Amino acid sequence: MAGRRKNRKQNEYFFDYTLLFIVLFLLGFGLVMLYSTSSYEAALDYGDSAYYLKKQLMSTALGIFCMLVVSKINYHVWEKFAVIGYIAAVVLILMVLSPLGHEVKGARRWLRLGPLSLQPAEIAKLAMILFLAVLVCKMGKGIRTWKGFGLAVGAAAPICLLIWKVTNNLSSAIIVGGIAVLMVFVAAPDYKRFVLMALAVCAAAALIVFVIVKNAEGQADAAADGGIQSDAGFRGDRIIAWLDPEKYASDEGFQTLQALYAIGSGNLFGKGLGRSMQKLGFLPEAQNDMIFSIICEELGLFGALSIILLFILLIWRFMVIANNATDLFGALLVVGVLGHIAIQVILNIAVVTNTIPNTGISLPFISYGGTSVLFLLSEIGLVLSVSKGIRLNDVG
Amino acid sequence: MSIENRNHQRNRNPQRNIRNLDDRRVERNIRNLDDRRLERSIRNQENRRPERSIRNREDTRAERNGRNPENRSIPGRMNSQDRFARRQETALKGIAARFTIRMQKKLAVLFIVVLLAFLGLSLRLYAINREDSENYKKQVLSQQEYSSKVLPYKRGDIIDAKGTRLAYSEKVYNLVVDASVINSKQAYVEPTVTALNTCFGVDANEIRNHLAEKPNDKYFVVKKQLTYEEISPFLELQKDKEKGANVKGIWFEEEYKRVYPYGSLACHVLGFTSRDNIGTNGLEAYYSDTLNGTNGREYGYLNDDSELERTTKAAVDGKNVVTSLDVNIQKIVEKYIKQFNEEHKGEFRQGELGSKHTGVIVMNPKTGNVMAMAAYPDYDLNNPRDISAYYSDTEIAKMEEEDTYLDTLQTLWRNYCIQDAYEPGSTAKTMTIATGLDSGKITGNEYYDCSGQLEVSGHHIHCHKTNGHGNLNVSGALEQSCNVALMHIGDAIGTETFMKYLTNFNVGLKTNIDLAGEARTANLIYDVDSMVRSDLAISTFGQGYKVTMIQLASAFCSIINGGYYYEPHIATEIQNPDGSTAETIAPRVLKQVVSTETSEKMKTYLNAVCVTGTATTAVPAGYLIGGKTGTAETYPRKQGQYVVSFIGYAPADDPQVVVYVVVDRPNVADQPHSTFAQEIAKGIFTEILPYMNIFRTEQLTEEQEEELRRLQILGTVSGNSTEEGTEEEESEEETEQEEEAEKPEYTYDDNTGNIIDPLTGYQVDPDTMEYADPQFSAIGDISGTPSENEQEDSGGSEGYEE
Repeated sequence: MAGRRKNRKQNEYFFDYTLLFIVLFLLGFGLVMLYSTSSYEAALDYGDSAYYLKKQLMSTALGIFCMLVVSKINYHVWEKFAVIGYIAAVVLILMVLSPLGHEVKGARRWLRLGPLSLQPAEIAKLAMILFLAVLVCKMGKGIRTWKGFGLAVGAAAPICLLIWKVTNNLSSAIIVGGIAVLMVFVAAPDYKRFVLMALAVCAAAALIVFVIVKNAEGQADAAADGGIQSDAGFRGDRIIAWLDPEKYASDEGFQTLQALYAIGSGNLFGKGLGRSMQKLGFLPEAQNDMIFSIICEELGLFGALSIILLFILLIWRFMVIANNATDLFGALLVVGVLGHIAIQVILNIAVVTNTIPNTGISLPFISYGGTSVLFLLSEIGLVLSVSKGIRLNDVG
Repeated sequence: MSIENRNHQRNRNPQRNIRNLDDRRVERNIRNLDDRRLERSIRNQENRRPERSIRNREDTRAERNGRNPENRSIPGRMNSQDRFARRQETALKGIAARFTIRMQKKLAVLFIVVLLAFLGLSLRLYAINREDSENYKKQVLSQQEYSSKVLPYKRGDIIDAKGTRLAYSEKVYNLVVDASVINSKQAYVEPTVTALNTCFGVDANEIRNHLAEKPNDKYFVVKKQLTYEEISPFLELQKDKEKGANVKGIWFEEEYKRVYPYGSLACHVLGFTSRDNIGTNGLEAYYSDTLNGTNGREYGYLNDDSELERTTKAAVDGKNVVTSLDVNIQKIVEKYIKQFNEEHKGEFRQGELGSKHTGVIVMNPKTGNVMAMAAYPDYDLNNPRDISAYYSDTEIAKMEEEDTYLDTLQTLWRNYCIQDAYEPGSTAKTMTIATGLDSGKITGNEYYDCSGQLEVSGHHIHCHKTNGHGNLNVSGALEQSCNVALMHIGDAIGTETFMKYLTNFNVGLKTNIDLAGEARTANLIYDVDSMVRSDLAISTFGQGYKVTMIQLASAFCSIINGGYYYEPHIATEIQNPDGSTAETIAPRVLKQVVSTETSEKMKTYLNAVCVTGTATTAVPAGYLIGGKTGTAETYPRKQGQYVVSFIGYAPADDPQVVVYVVVDRPNVADQPHSTFAQEIAKGIFTEILPYMNIFRTEQLTEEQEEELRRLQILGTVSGNSTEEGTEEEESEEETEQEEEAEKPEYTYDDNTGNIIDPLTGYQVDPDTMEYADPQFSAIGDISGTPSENEQEDSGGSEGYEE
């Protein structure tokens, strides 16, 4: 009888430990990889091989704290903050232009508040998830109409544009936009619109690539072999380098090519943890956007697929939680977080494998970046909070 | 009233807080038993999954109607989770829509899309690994080498026969500033700049400007080739815990600098190195690969504890080349060359050196090893591009303007002994007579009548003595250097035999001496098929074809050493960096050119030349030597331009050393006197023979004793053979004091009449007055004589015609 009792007790209240452990494992793994990847450069630049690790550990600890706090708070509390969060995100993005703005490696994307620096784009992602969840819930059936659809997507547009234009950060803008589209996709009943939209995006992308390549060819004829000189800006250059990284190995294609070298030299089981050669100053941003290629180099295809599997598990857990969420709001929050993480993982791996043109997207939980891990963990906290509302019987 | 209310009451019971744990557990167990069973049964009835869609429909309807959604939370005993759920519900005023099945389906679609994306990326990863793995692995490894630090090898030494280092590489340090490190902390900037200023005298503002202009620059070489002594104060400062704490971003790049401790000594033989240890000229070029080693590398890697570690693959230093050169002999040779050239500097041709070129080769005839080789003008090996010793600033500026600066340098760097060809003149008569004797065309007992000239094919070819030598035998012909007698001998030999022997003497062929840049002289000699009688006639006394000094010296060695032609050589051994022998280079006999009998006969003739013939000036006090003088008019003829030379050996019966001196166009009014060359040779013999432990065999006259004492070759007790042993030790001293001691000789030596006028170099030997120099060129009548005297490959002898 006691056994049965115990069983019933376990089943009654749901807390998604699977999700929590996946996240904790990813964090731990990420810290190990971060240390492996960054220690060489850290020792060279700062005289302390654990320089990046320490900073990341602090952010992670803070993030886990936030996650636990948020998971304890009823997620409906945040409903009230949706509009405020949206406005705050806009303000923070604009503040990058103020003297508080902080420039790193030529990109003005950070806000410096005393010892801390944070990236408003990361806040904007969370704000967008919250705002859209509330908006879709408020709209109810309205989402089915073109108007409702337009409103939901339109809500995301200003923030995307601001991130793109003010902080010159197209990748974050794409992620925010992507989150919005995925949330609306799940909430809205039909497929046609989205298929059309996907086709339109693909066609536009193809057209842009075509135009840029044509331009570059024309200029290459004019300027002989003077490297990349297109006037399409650095994004155009990146697209050209994407198509033929070896040709531009010394400039735009350098990072991509180095990442490919790292991946290609890993083979099935890799060189072993800590034995990457590419991290020794060859692969720029190795501990950041390119950390996945070092994982491939050190742990091989096996390690890389394991990580991908973990992310799939993570996303599956999100799906389960969303499906069993007590209400639409909770479910949409989870869908937003799912979209956020899925988009970032896919785009990050696509960049390091040169499947898409190079753009700075970090790998969730693993890449170096304090703001990113802090807000990601807060999002996980939200999801856990949603999961707490689920009754086990609902899950079945 | 429901269970729920009861729960409320119980939960709010103030006593709950003081209940002990056991109670609670008991209570909970009961609760679990009772309430949950109850709850389940209710739920099973109302909230079964199959009913959910219906409920959802109801929910949405309710929402549309503006009603609060149904409370789906099943009443049960309140614990924290339930309270949470309740708060949730109360917070959910406006929004309580359910996540519909349709949405769940769409989410499933989304999940599948994500899965497909991951699958695609996994395939891409697999493809990269499968297709480009090998290529990328190589790329990774090849890149690795670029970033690692190169450890330079040490180029090997060039060592003389006695173990003295003639060239070696010294470790030096380049001062490198890493601006990115210095700029990383403001506290580093001032101490570092100050340290640079105090330790190296670097301009502080220059460094500050650099730090400001290129804040992220990692490599800026501030000072090059500092010695360890120069950097050690800084290294100490850096170690100092207090003062050196903030001195950062400075490091030293090691490299090697080639050092020639004797400056210009043997410059043409040694050559020098340019950047990256590429040898230029001489031994440095010829043995460059042997002298060079292999660079080492220092790799950075992370060890098992992820700490940065460095591993080193040490550099392999280059091998040493041991030569047969002898610094002391070389010094003696160069001293006499300089002495001559300084004496005659600007004497006739204004602003020119004592001669166009002066070259001396000292060889061991029994091995072909070169003991000294010197050419003048010379240059400083430590500063090979500095020509300020010979040219004024305005001249250099003009050269740079006209782009001839490099040509001037190339000319200066030329080794006259192996790279320039000239008509040898009468020294070649030794080869002609040896040819005649060895081929059996003459016996040595023939007599020739010299009337001062001989008509050959319609040309009147003169002897240098215009009124004729009269009746001469073969020995006499050599002693008096009679052209007419030699032409008769040439007639007896014939063209074919003459050219066959000339080729056997390696004339026209490379000697393959181990020095870079030996001249090709193949087209500077006659072609046997097109050679006519007058060509043969002038060839017998060394006109009409050209040789290099090393060719003639090597050929001469074979004539006096028993007939064996040795390949002239300088290196005798290759050493490992630790000094052990890697390879011994043995003397190499290439052929026997003449028989031992011929050689013996030639030695008696050559000795006679030095006793009663034209070369008495060259004889050093106390020794019997053999030798032959030479005076050849350069092309264009009739300009009063001559190459005067002397080749001799000592001792006369057992040749141990050959000295060949060539003075190209001495800077005097009256050039054609081989005594210029003989003087130099005599000085060299006088000093090197005692140094080589070759004992005096002849009685010294009082004057000679006096002279040798002045040269400090003789001690206070004269004529004692035991003192010979001490001479070697004294040689160092001698060379330093030589110059002082030598000078009075000229004004003093009245009795022998060896040298009378030190200014002009005119010498009259009373014993051989009428036969001695000046020699006059005898070929003035020949039209179309060979073109330019200098420079091996240019011209050629095709200009000859009858």
